[in-house]
Amino acid sequence: MPKILIPTPLRQFAGNNDTVDVAGVATVGEALGALVTQHPDLRKNLYNDEGKLRSFVNIYVNDEDIRYLSKEKTEVKDSDTISIVPSIAGGGR
Amino acid sequence: MLKIEAQPWAVMVEHGRACFPRECCGILVGSAGDAGDNVVTLAIACTNAYEGDQKDRFELDPRDVIKAERAAREQRQGVVGFFHSHPNEDAYFSATDLKFSAPGYSNVVMSIRDGEFSHAKCFIANFDQTAAEPEELHYA
Ligand SMILES: [Zn+2]
Repeated sequence: MPKILIPTPLRQFAGNNDTVDVAGVATVGEALGALVTQHPDLRKNLYNDEGKLRSFVNIYVNDEDIRYLSKEKTEVKDSDTISIVPSIAGGGR
Repeated sequence: MLKIEAQPWAVMVEHGRACFPRECCGILVGSAGDAGDNVVTLAIACTNAYEGDQKDRFELDPRDVIKAERAAREQRQGVVGFFHSHPNEDAYFSATDLKFSAPGYSNVVMSIRDGEFSHAKCFIANFDQTAAEPEELHYA
């Protein structure tokens, strides 16, 4: 089944797991839905009040950003790894 | 509290000096222990991916973050934070830094003055990115 890699600061909301396996999912959206069902404390860390992924959350399937695939409708296979990758920028200005 | 070992600290300072007068950026890998008690064992100097004037802006390439995450997991560690420099500015956490941060990570900001390291501070953004708390920083 697809696995989701949990970044360090979010592990405390995922039962201290660094990886969560999600069964019976066909898309990235379903996989993330299964993740926050298993670990409800993750929901507000990943999604805003409108149910959209928060601005700093990038989702990758293997090496591909889902924004350049089919976003949350991107299909996932059992062998796929989904990464939650923080988006980081800034500046002194 | 964030403790940076001597080797990664040297990498960070050198990256800040080398990129001057542009902002540098990079990734901090360390022990994924209890929050507030991380030890950085590896600093990865990254290319500033910001398209535009980099004297006061930086952006990390998410692909660099994925690579770092994989390397960290092989060592049973994790990405615990990020670093960047402020050329000829103090080491504060700007509104831009806060807006484009991710909650829960340590963010080390290094002040590089006239090409030389001046001082550094560390910050953690709160849950909804409305404020950043200072984090105690120790480096070798
Ligand atoms: Zn900054």
